[in-house]
Amino acid sequence: MNSSNVITEDDRYRSSTQFRLWSFTPASLLALRSTTNQLAADRVREAVRRARAREAQSSADASDADPESKSRATSTLPEGELDCLTVEEELKLIVFYCRQTLQLGKHLNLPTDVNATAVQYMKRFYTTNSLMTYDPATILRTALFFATKTENHYYRLSKFAEAIDKTKPEDVLASEYLLTQGLRFTFDVRHPYRALEGAVMELCAIAEGAIPNNGVAGEMPRNMDYRCKVAHGTAKEFLKTSALLTDVYFHFSPSQIMLASLLIADEELIRWYIAFKLGGLQNAMAQKVLGTLADCAQMLRTVEPQMQSPAEESKEARTLAKKLRKCRNPEKIDLVALQQTKRGGDNANDEKILKKRKLEREKVAQEAGDLFGPGLKKP
Amino acid sequence: MSRPSKPSLTDNPLDDICPVCKSNRYLNPSLQFLINPECYHKMCSTCVDRIFTSGPTCCPVPRCGKTLRKRGFHQAFFGDLKIEEECDIRKRVGDVFNRRQEDFETLRHWNDYLQDVEDLVFDLVKGSAKTKRRAEETLEEYRVKNLAVIEENKKAGQEAASLERQREKAEREAAKQRRLAMAREEEEEKMDVEKMKRSALDRLANSNEDANAIARQAQKGILKKTSARRTLTDAPTNESTTSVRDSGLSIRGLKKKVAPVVEKEYDPFGGIDLTPTRYILQDHYENDYLAGFVKGQPTAMTGGYSLHEYYGRSMLEAFSGLGVFIEDEIASRNQPAAMATIKAEARDDVF
Repeated sequence: MNSSNVITEDDRYRSSTQFRLWSFTPASLLALRSTTNQLAADRVREAVRRARAREAQSSADASDADPESKSRATSTLPEGELDCLTVEEELKLIVFYCRQTLQLGKHLNLPTDVNATAVQYMKRFYTTNSLMTYDPATILRTALFFATKTENHYYRLSKFAEAIDKTKPEDVLASEYLLTQGLRFTFDVRHPYRALEGAVMELCAIAEGAIPNNGVAGEMPRNMDYRCKVAHGTAKEFLKTSALLTDVYFHFSPSQIMLASLLIADEELIRWYIAFKLGGLQNAMAQKVLGTLADCAQMLRTVEPQMQSPAEESKEARTLAKKLRKCRNPEKIDLVALQQTKRGGDNANDEKILKKRKLEREKVAQEAGDLFGPGLKKP
Repeated sequence: MSRPSKPSLTDNPLDDICPVCKSNRYLNPSLQFLINPECYHKMCSTCVDRIFTSGPTCCPVPRCGKTLRKRGFHQAFFGDLKIEEECDIRKRVGDVFNRRQEDFETLRHWNDYLQDVEDLVFDLVKGSAKTKRRAEETLEEYRVKNLAVIEENKKAGQEAASLERQREKAEREAAKQRRLAMAREEEEEKMDVEKMKRSALDRLANSNEDANAIARQAQKGILKKTSARRTLTDAPTNESTTSVRDSGLSIRGLKKKVAPVVEKEYDPFGGIDLTPTRYILQDHYENDYLAGFVKGQPTAMTGGYSLHEYYGRSMLEAFSGLGVFIEDEIASRNQPAAMATIKAEARDDVF
């Protein structure tokens, strides 16, 4: 037990699942998404082919005795050659549905961190699952409900379902295990919100002189106290929207995301702060950190820090949603029914086994009750 | 070999004569011989009174010359005064060399120590004047050097002895109680059976029922009573045995306490140093968000909300991972995570 056991702040972050399982380089993330998209598209084509074959079979069987069922069947299945979503289109749609999640959260009066966690669940889930396989509108409700649990903001399920239009508790719970698996059983999301409070607290303390200026970075920026507060507000807006809708959570640590958003708000102040913390701007570490922050800030700037999506973006998203409706996997549309059949199947099996056992037991009991015991078995 | 309660004539006539005044037990049956552990010369109680009442004087035995006091005289426990002397020496040495086997790391060390002590005792008992003196010096030197340890061991020994005494006493008490209880039970049982028999006889005499039935019933009742009593009596005996065992356990624990191992202070992090490297946590920070509803508000603080905890957590999160460059670190770890995820999609079938 000596100084060799020092665990730095970075090591503590490295122990998190966010770093171990949910951090990617841009290239590896793109590769992962392409694979997912490719697999899902193949499956959708296969499933549609199967469904069509089944339909042809059933319509041949019933000929035209039951025209009603035929019309229903045709309405669910798309016609003609399937036009699947590309990776880029999927990404745009995911952003759209993440915004929907945020709006739903706002509608339910949920705190920021619950919304943020839910959005991250969506993003994580759809790295390994495709929109074409599982309907994002269903998943986002479950994600939001999960987020209330992980962020310790209790919301009763029945009330939760009631507060959302056309939703029953079963709808929320149906994709429960699916989402858990998609999240690889990791629920912890490290957010930059508390980090922002910490950094701003320290900046204010420096401005007031509670922490002395060590002189490494030169003179303190002028009017620092006021600038801290303004930067705090701007950075918060970025963290609430841009940080959630872009992929920064996959590529940067919360500390870097937080400082990048502050950098967007007040570049001079933050450059001074980095120099102050890391021993001058010429320091290799400071250079490296600044480079990373610049990358992160650039990524953050790609999305406007607003809750509502811009007009043309939402228009595009709507057309994409229409396209999605045509290339859904028909076998995975009704998650509630799927879950019920699974459970029902299990139950039926159980019942069968139980019945068999009961019969056997009765037989044995009956034989044992005979005066001279059970009859000898012939070899 | 018990102390003779009454002095009586012995086989050896020399033992019955006082070497100082030559008075004989044959003539004076109440003659009592005393010794002084200074020189172990035997003399009769009359001589002691006569010679030493007026104060310390030389031993009257020729060529002895030791100065003796009256207070030092007592009756010898052993007939053979050599043995008496050796016992006294052993007692004296044992008081000084009072270490126990638990104090030694190995059996070998313990045996060596015992051997040393035995050699010293031998020198004191059988040695020439010179060796005796040297042995005395060694003993005294050791005593002065290890005063504290000797005192400690002595105390521990006394404690153990007193505990042992207590335990024995408690055991005796418990046994006595058991015996009494058993006797009482037996008495009661007898009375019960007697009573039932009498009532059965009464019924036989006074009622018109079938005599056999009444007899059978009475027999059954008596049997039931006695068996119930037996089960009842079984329970307390169990209890008493456990209590005895308990006291034995407590003794074992106390024995351990005699040589306590100093326990290290408990460290929940197992020696990991979590001191922050990128910041120094202040005792107080200005924060508008906190000032709004936490500071000075009893409703927020009574539940155990710690501002310091919040400061520590937010400062840690502000700098935890600042130096983690995912692009470099993830690329260098050969992307096992990404591979695993792809597999997850490939085998994905929840339903």
